[in-house]
Amino acid sequence: MAEATERETGVRRPRSNWVPLGVAAGAVVLLGAGWPLLNAVTPSSQALASDDTVDLGSGGDYAASLDLPQDGWNVDTTKTMAGQQYVFTRGPVELDLVSIQPPGGMEATPEDLWSGMETTSRVDDASAQLGEPEAATTQDGTRGLVGDLRTQDRTERAAVFPSPDGNFAVKMTLGGENATGADLASVEDVVEAVSFEHQEGS
Amino acid sequence: MSHAPHEPRKHTPGEPGTEEGQVPSQRGPDHEGVVPEDRTRETEPADRGQDDREPADHGPVGGESPGPVHIGRGDHEPGQRLPALAALVVLAAACAVGLVLLSTNMFGALRVYAAPAVLAFLLCALTYAVGFWIFRRIRPVRAPRLPVAVLATVWGLLAATGVAAYANTGMGGLWGQILGYEAAGAWGAALTAPINEEFLKLAGVVVIAVAFPHALRGPIDGFIFGALVGVGFEVTENFLYALHSISQSGALAPATSVTETTVIRVVLTGLGSHWAMSAIAGTAVGLLAAVAWRPGARRALAAVGLVLLAMLGHFFFDSPLLGEGLFGVAAKVAFVFLSAMAVYFTIRHTFRSRVKRSLSEQGKDLGMRRSDAKALASRRGRHKALASVARPERPEVRRRQERMVEEAEDRAARYAVN
Repeated sequence: MAEATERETGVRRPRSNWVPLGVAAGAVVLLGAGWPLLNAVTPSSQALASDDTVDLGSGGDYAASLDLPQDGWNVDTTKTMAGQQYVFTRGPVELDLVSIQPPGGMEATPEDLWSGMETTSRVDDASAQLGEPEAATTQDGTRGLVGDLRTQDRTERAAVFPSPDGNFAVKMTLGGENATGADLASVEDVVEAVSFEHQEGS
Repeated sequence: MSHAPHEPRKHTPGEPGTEEGQVPSQRGPDHEGVVPEDRTRETEPADRGQDDREPADHGPVGGESPGPVHIGRGDHEPGQRLPALAALVVLAAACAVGLVLLSTNMFGALRVYAAPAVLAFLLCALTYAVGFWIFRRIRPVRAPRLPVAVLATVWGLLAATGVAAYANTGMGGLWGQILGYEAAGAWGAALTAPINEEFLKLAGVVVIAVAFPHALRGPIDGFIFGALVGVGFEVTENFLYALHSISQSGALAPATSVTETTVIRVVLTGLGSHWAMSAIAGTAVGLLAAVAWRPGARRALAAVGLVLLAMLGHFFFDSPLLGEGLFGVAAKVAFVFLSAMAVYFTIRHTFRSRVKRSLSEQGKDLGMRRSDAKALASRRGRHKALASVARPERPEVRRRQERMVEEAEDRAARYAVN
């Protein structure tokens, strides 16, 4: 009846302001809670084969990649953002890997990177402390540093490797909340499985 | 606001409104004869109408609605008061939730990077101040009310960014599963942000429209409030990116990382960033609010088109298309910025035309020159007119000007509906 009158007179009744408010509030709740819930109930890992090569990004004249030396590694698709940050898991072990772009064209040395890692590791855990580093080389001969990263309740392994020109770097922590020393020891060579390749034409 | 020196020769106290630039009283019989449907306005307190204040009332659209209900300084049509209060509650709750989520997100970085965080905060505060000033200033005729404009930016600063951070992580994880982590790394942002961020910012414009129905009642208001929500979002996002860049650069030179990131996001890509996207989408809210959320097919299509244009711009901006070189970035920024400008100048022209038409009608009935009446549509025109009267007369003339402008904006809103 009312609609018929509206049609006859050509006048539209105003819609209650509750409608747009409900739609707006609903959208906020749906987006803010819906995606995280949906993501939580769906699997968030993708299996990687031992011969998989993971591209870790590039900077300066070099691109980095990771050749996983063991089977059974998975990539966490929620925490990983290709080109910036990677999270790999294998049982209780977690490998966090960050691609680093030094600012302002500065060339990073292993020592600079280790010092920076001391700071960045405290973002997630205020008690984090790096031990004395040891020299290490990746499978392609790139020089870096490896050492212990101690937090309140566990000890993890940390590593930093700059590209040969220092314009790009990779830093890694190998740990896991429930990982034992034996678990870490069994995959420790993964931190040296990074390689830097000179990019043609760069 | 500048005050011109007193020029007595231009002051003609006995003939209000006949002198160039002066605004005659609207309270004379002529005025009442012009807009009989608006006689209730004449009961408004005489001190209303300073810059940033709400106009006297909505005025019944089509002459059939009951009279307005006045609640404090805000004016609401019957049935708008409760949703407006609820909208304020939604706004406060969403901002509180956003603040908690952002604090959780940033706490560790703020603790470790305190000094660079202060630098980032200062750069963001500067960005906010400049953006806020510009987007209030570009509203034709007069700026939106200060408190409402601030609340719009607060939605962007807290509610939209806080919720978007979690929504984006959730949706990004799903893209990782669907596309694989490598493709998700390249396309995830382009597929996620246009949906989550544009709708979350748009929700803020809708909440503002419901909470302050008189502040947002046409496309130009939608554009301005969209831009304000967008600049709030941009500022918080810049802050988050600046903190993130420190870790991403290995904490090798935190101050340099913060400065580089902010300069790139403000100077290089700032023209085509969040403000522009949400201004385009916000225009859609203005289109719908102008007709009390009950649009015809053409208006509804236009509104959907604007939201899709904003989302398309965001998709293009975040996508790996055209690469990350200077040309690619410039093309993306240009697409978003020029889209926003095309929308802005179209709706600005329409709005100004309507306001000038109304001022011309009012001026005619008040015995003003047409050009003088129309000149009141601009800030400069009003200042010029004020400068031409004696200083003691200016407060009263200013009030009259503002009543005319209020009336003109009321009528402009009605022209839009009709």
